[in-house]
Amino acid sequence: MISVTSMPWLAPEILLVFIAAILLVLELVYRLSSRSVGYAAIASVVGLMILTAFIPVLGPDGGDRHFFWSNTYLWDGPAKFYKIFFLIATAFVLWMILESEGEGDSHRPEFYVLTLLTSAGMCLLASVQDFMLLFVALELVTISFYILVAYQRASLASLEAGVKYLILGGVSSAFLVMGIAYVFGMTGSTHFSAVPATFKEGGLSNVGLLFGVLFILVGLGFKVSSVPFHFWAPDVYQGAPTPMTAFLSVGSKAAGFVLLLRIFAEGARMPSNLQTFVEITAIASMLLGNLAAIPQRNLKRMLAYSSIGHSGFMLIAVAGLMFQSQMASASSVALGVYLLTYLIATMLAFLVIVVVSHKIPGEQIHTYAGLGQRSPLLAGGLAIGLVSMAGVPPLVGFIGKLSVFVIAWNLAFTTSTGSLGVVVLAAAVFAAVAALYYYLSLLKVMFWSEPLDRTPIPVAPGTKIMILALCFLSLLLGFWAGGLAWATAGLGIK
Amino acid sequence: MSPLLLLLITPAVGIVLIMAKAPAKPIAALAAALNFFVSILILAMFDGSRTGYQLMFSQVWADFAGLPTITFALGIDGINAPLMFLATSVTLAAIMVSPGDVKRSSEFFAYLLLMSLGALGAFLSLDLFFFFIFHEFALIPTFLLVGIWGGQNRQFASMQMTLYLMLGSLVLLIGILFLVLLVPWATQWKVAATFNLMDIQAHLARYPVPLGWQSLIFGFLALGFGTLISVFPLHSWAPAGYASAPPGAAMLHAGVLKKFGIYGFIRVVLPLVPEGMEYWQNLFYLMLLGNILVIGYVAVAQRELPLMLGFSSVMHMGYMFLGLAAFNTIGLTGVVFLMVAHGLSAALLFGLAGEITRRCGETRMDELGGLAKQMPFIATAFIIGSLASVGMPGLANFAGEIMIFFGAFGQAGIPKWVTMIAIAGIIIGAIYQLRAVSRVLYGPMPERYAHVKDLDTLVEQAPYLLLIGLLFILGFAPGLIISITEPAVKSLLAGGGL
Repeated sequence: MISVTSMPWLAPEILLVFIAAILLVLELVYRLSSRSVGYAAIASVVGLMILTAFIPVLGPDGGDRHFFWSNTYLWDGPAKFYKIFFLIATAFVLWMILESEGEGDSHRPEFYVLTLLTSAGMCLLASVQDFMLLFVALELVTISFYILVAYQRASLASLEAGVKYLILGGVSSAFLVMGIAYVFGMTGSTHFSAVPATFKEGGLSNVGLLFGVLFILVGLGFKVSSVPFHFWAPDVYQGAPTPMTAFLSVGSKAAGFVLLLRIFAEGARMPSNLQTFVEITAIASMLLGNLAAIPQRNLKRMLAYSSIGHSGFMLIAVAGLMFQSQMASASSVALGVYLLTYLIATMLAFLVIVVVSHKIPGEQIHTYAGLGQRSPLLAGGLAIGLVSMAGVPPLVGFIGKLSVFVIAWNLAFTTSTGSLGVVVLAAAVFAAVAALYYYLSLLKVMFWSEPLDRTPIPVAPGTKIMILALCFLSLLLGFWAGGLAWATAGLGIK
Repeated sequence: MSPLLLLLITPAVGIVLIMAKAPAKPIAALAAALNFFVSILILAMFDGSRTGYQLMFSQVWADFAGLPTITFALGIDGINAPLMFLATSVTLAAIMVSPGDVKRSSEFFAYLLLMSLGALGAFLSLDLFFFFIFHEFALIPTFLLVGIWGGQNRQFASMQMTLYLMLGSLVLLIGILFLVLLVPWATQWKVAATFNLMDIQAHLARYPVPLGWQSLIFGFLALGFGTLISVFPLHSWAPAGYASAPPGAAMLHAGVLKKFGIYGFIRVVLPLVPEGMEYWQNLFYLMLLGNILVIGYVAVAQRELPLMLGFSSVMHMGYMFLGLAAFNTIGLTGVVFLMVAHGLSAALLFGLAGEITRRCGETRMDELGGLAKQMPFIATAFIIGSLASVGMPGLANFAGEIMIFFGAFGQAGIPKWVTMIAIAGIIIGAIYQLRAVSRVLYGPMPERYAHVKDLDTLVEQAPYLLLIGLLFILGFAPGLIISITEPAVKSLLAGGGL
């Protein structure tokens, strides 16, 4: 058995960086094909996933929180959950890149290597406890994404997306650094735990500190694409290579949320203004995301707006973190459950989009007409993914929606937030209904419209298995919620 | 292992076999027949003299830290036992009625079994999570059945049904969440939130819900269940949906699945938030009279046979609502009885209407006529179904309706005129139902139907004979159901239910 003390040396982020470097060198020396680099990358990510699953959280002394490297790195239940989460997301994204090979210009091996480096940054974010390390890890993720988003140099849309992402990413980093500077100035420390500790003491420093944390929230708002920091998302999602869109919408978003989880780990000791701020962005994101998705004509753009809406739902859980233990614990679990269900549904949808785009480029919704007749598997997979995102039982997305609704109900009726909490609940209900509308209208296009072209769309056997497995998982976990409870068991806050 | 699990496993195995390319209709019929016999066995094992749930199965399903616990709990008592039997018998009939050579037949029969599975699960679940999710599980195949195999206007009908029922379910879900999350709050966090109905009932018995909360929760639940029941004015999905649905799906939905809403009222709403009814009672009366009078008149005006039956099935929900409002032993027993009786008669009529319209290729009643000579079996069965639906003594519906009226008169809270108008509504039912009989079966027959065939073989007739037989048996011996339902309703009204 692997012991806790060996943890930091076996951490997936360290091994990922090593593997990325080795692959880069091997590719250079032996002129490996991009496909073989892709397979090696997938194999190593899956291996790391298994390795991480086997590292225990419970130490020999019975503690389940272990700090390393002068307290800047934490290994605990949430760290394990989110590291595995990011590795799963990376594996799917790598598979999508492999699947999209061969259309137009083949990818270069660096595409896979950069994805591995992004993944390393995300895994590191799951453990950071210090604002400096946070910045380094976040920049590792963001800078890799700058390249990945703009990777299709021949495509104008991809270049435009890359430039937009670069500029707004830079702005968000600037906000973040500004916030960190404020926090450091007020607390004299860059460690996360200094923030609630200083708030507790009270006094004038609270105002400055509040500013600092607000700036950090703005910076992270860009990462999770919550309203009003969402402007980049639709253009970038539409323009980026589809695997990268999937990675942005699951990985990058989850990275933002895991940071929010860490920063608000003792949220009950922070001023309630922050909670109001989070609740208002949650309301705005849910409403704008889901309403703006309705008129979209491009599937990836629609999913971008819907992902803004999903951020709103998850921000409800973030607002719930700022209460006493029981509620905070429930919120942390709810966030994990929602992200997991979102991961399954999004990967399913994007996997189908990648396959479909071989035959139908451009991802315009009307070109999906009659997909049910051309390929029942692809249409069924996309339908299950979308319906699951809409939160319709018995698919897994329902459990995610249910758990954030529990938090929203508590915000509305059992906590001191009062009327704003009721607005959160009402907005969540309204947004869920609006979401139903645009997801179902896509279903209508796929199953009830006549196809423009009847040629079937071929699906590679591996991808077929993966789509079927994800469909099965969506159904299974929808019924057997115990599986989600087991997966998120480590997320409770003591 | 509880035999109730068998009821869920059999259709599931059937679905898997059908999806694995086994012959669709035989396998589906076999699964339905097996389930039918299992349900008879369960009724034989059921001890009617005991109150409380029997043959229980309970298993903690998901234990989230801080989020409500989900249990997988099944059980029957005198209230859902008759419904379980209704579900299995109508499923058997619906599957036997459906033609085996329908397009994409394996999907078709798999969806029918899925509907049956969902309905059974919803009726048997003692956990609100599964209660809700099983019903949703049955709705999705319903939408597909209407959308893919439906008749005229199927796309519109299916989309309308989907949006209405999804919205209704969402409102219902909010009501359920209120109930679930109120428990920890009411007990000042001494108890963790749970979806288990029995636990919620036990806690709320000790810590009653304040009146304001009760009326709010009642509002959500009643709106949600009401949409699913097609209460006036939230009914417009139902007639169009049923008219367009393939007969098997219409039989299963109108006969079985729609009873979920009424059952939810008896199982969840009335025991847990009884005071809410007082707050909303006037609106309640208005809606049930709307169901009986307005929808009744609309049904009279219909020119198409399936649409008329759709409106008729909406109208009968008004009587069940009256029984719920009576909220006494005889009234609620009557509701349970009428649910079974109406389920059987509605299934019979939808099935026969399907036969008639398929054979003649015509849904307009004016264009049909004189078919009694041409298809004597269908005609006889249709007349029996119509008489049952009208409430003729000797057939099951009569016993249920009379108990509901007695219950409503016995309840001092209900104004006498409401009950009287409701009784008078029966005449409206008789008008449209008997007029349909005379228009479709008697009068001059158009030449083009001269070689339309009747149901000739016993195999074809069997599903209808089954439903007719049950209608007669329950009509002459209503005690079969009442004897087990009445004690359960009494204990429910006494605040027990456990």
